[in-house]
Amino acid sequence: MLPDDSPEQLRAEHEALIQFLYLAPVGLVQADLDGEIAMINPISAQLLMPLSPDGCLTNLFTALESVAPDLRLQCSQFPRAQGMVFEGLHIHLRAAEHSKRAPQILSLTLLKLDQARIMAVIQDVTAEVRRERQLRQSDAWLNAILTRISDYALVSIDRAGRIVEWNESIARVTGFGEHVIGSAYSVFYPPGAMTPEHLLDRLREADRNGWSLDEGLRLRADGSQFWCSALIAPLPDREAFGLDDPQAPAYALILRDISDKRAASEKRRQAAFCDHLTGLANRRAFFEAAELELDRAVHTPRPLALILFDADLFKNVNDRYGHPAGDRVLCDLADALRDSFRIVDTVARLGGEEFAVLLPSTSEGEALASAERLRALVATRLVATDMGEIAYTVSAGVAVLEGDARETGGIDHLIKRADQALYLAKGRGRNRVATWTSHLPANEDTPKRSRDAG
Amino acid sequence: MTTANPSFDTRGLADLLDASSQEQLDTLEFGVIGFDADTIVQRYNAVESQAAGLSPQRVLGEPLFTNVAPCLNNFLVAQRFEDAADEGSELDDTIDYVLTLRMRPIKVKLRLLASPGGAHRYVLVQRR
Repeated sequence: MLPDDSPEQLRAEHEALIQFLYLAPVGLVQADLDGEIAMINPISAQLLMPLSPDGCLTNLFTALESVAPDLRLQCSQFPRAQGMVFEGLHIHLRAAEHSKRAPQILSLTLLKLDQARIMAVIQDVTAEVRRERQLRQSDAWLNAILTRISDYALVSIDRAGRIVEWNESIARVTGFGEHVIGSAYSVFYPPGAMTPEHLLDRLREADRNGWSLDEGLRLRADGSQFWCSALIAPLPDREAFGLDDPQAPAYALILRDISDKRAASEKRRQAAFCDHLTGLANRRAFFEAAELELDRAVHTPRPLALILFDADLFKNVNDRYGHPAGDRVLCDLADALRDSFRIVDTVARLGGEEFAVLLPSTSEGEALASAERLRALVATRLVATDMGEIAYTVSAGVAVLEGDARETGGIDHLIKRADQALYLAKGRGRNRVATWTSHLPANEDTPKRSRDAG
Repeated sequence: MTTANPSFDTRGLADLLDASSQEQLDTLEFGVIGFDADTIVQRYNAVESQAAGLSPQRVLGEPLFTNVAPCLNNFLVAQRFEDAADEGSELDDTIDYVLTLRMRPIKVKLRLLASPGGAHRYVLVQRR
């Protein structure tokens, strides 16, 4: 059968082709070597428009400038006449600003077609990366047990997380004697690293997933600390031990001293979850911690406090002393924050001079006291820089979520409230702490913008 | 409805569009995409059809943000409609945007219209 080349047929084919490109689930862009866009499909616009600093899509490099500043350079320095400039480059976005569903990681592939044209493929790989990370974590655990079996402590715990039996391995790894029976397993955690709610959260996670794993500092009986990988697994056939007996063993807790591997695993974590300048948690780590905490609160409601800190009149510091000195101030604030809060709290830099501390199982009064302590501490500090000593102050906004966080709008809601409180603290003359109350005007957008003034 | 055609920034436009026939929509000088609470496209006028290169039968009955205009499926556009629906509030925002009509970036103004009682939600498209 001969192909039908009638204009109607060609038009229909053209339309089908257009729609095919409209619906392709990856972003496709063709541009010249300076990034000027010649052709672009809708998914590209969906992914790039929220990033585009000028609200245009005339230039690919400009659209991505805020998250991948060196594309133009990489493209111009590509030595060959054609070929793959890079493939599957992961770009981390300053995400979650507007929506939890917004993409956080884009994958970008750049292909040089000839001396005049490049082709880019853009994809939202947030979910994929998250899945991979979970897999990697299970891999890491398997590696840890299979490759180098060193000493471990095996601890039986009951449904409430209390230690039921004592054995030699507990003494070998932790130094605790028989008197440890009856204590909650948080006895192995340094002060501030565990809350009563988290203790039970881990047991529930083990019920749900088959195991719960965490890594961190643990405590020996003599007060010394070691880097530990701790696995909690439900005991098989535990029903057979008697459902009625609350003291029957229900979980196995395995503690392994992995101090020698700490450097490697910390380095991996830091690359992904730390703010480069201050070493605090980055936005991604903050929002993941918040998500986890809210998930847990669905099962067992508990208060979750958030403090937003903002360095006062920070723009003046930068203008007057220069950015390197400004960075020193931010690092000093980061140090003060790190030293002031518990291990279980998440201390993060959300951007610029804005910092956040998430405090699990913390009441408004406690959060307010912590915020006030930090504010007072900062007011006494001087930061040594090449431009002389700099004094600075911070303002803080405190908000607390009670009850079912999902129903009250989750982390975005909490941030908004803390932000309103912070705005109030700024308005009252800075160097102070304010708490959110229902009397505060629910200004949707003002705080973020107006606070730029310092 | 008055005899004069409403313009892109006429007030109360959603009600006028709801009351317009397909022929009347086709005489408008800006693009009209009307959709229901499930984002299914119910109305699509000639200007928009021509600019996008898609005939109405390829578009009507399809979910807007996934199958017709995925470029609008982000917090700048789709989420505004979702938020308005969640809060049961009125939406009437005009924003600068770039559409990828026939694979070329075209600067446009979008007017986003939704009201809790309205028959349709609208994305209106004005070339800049």
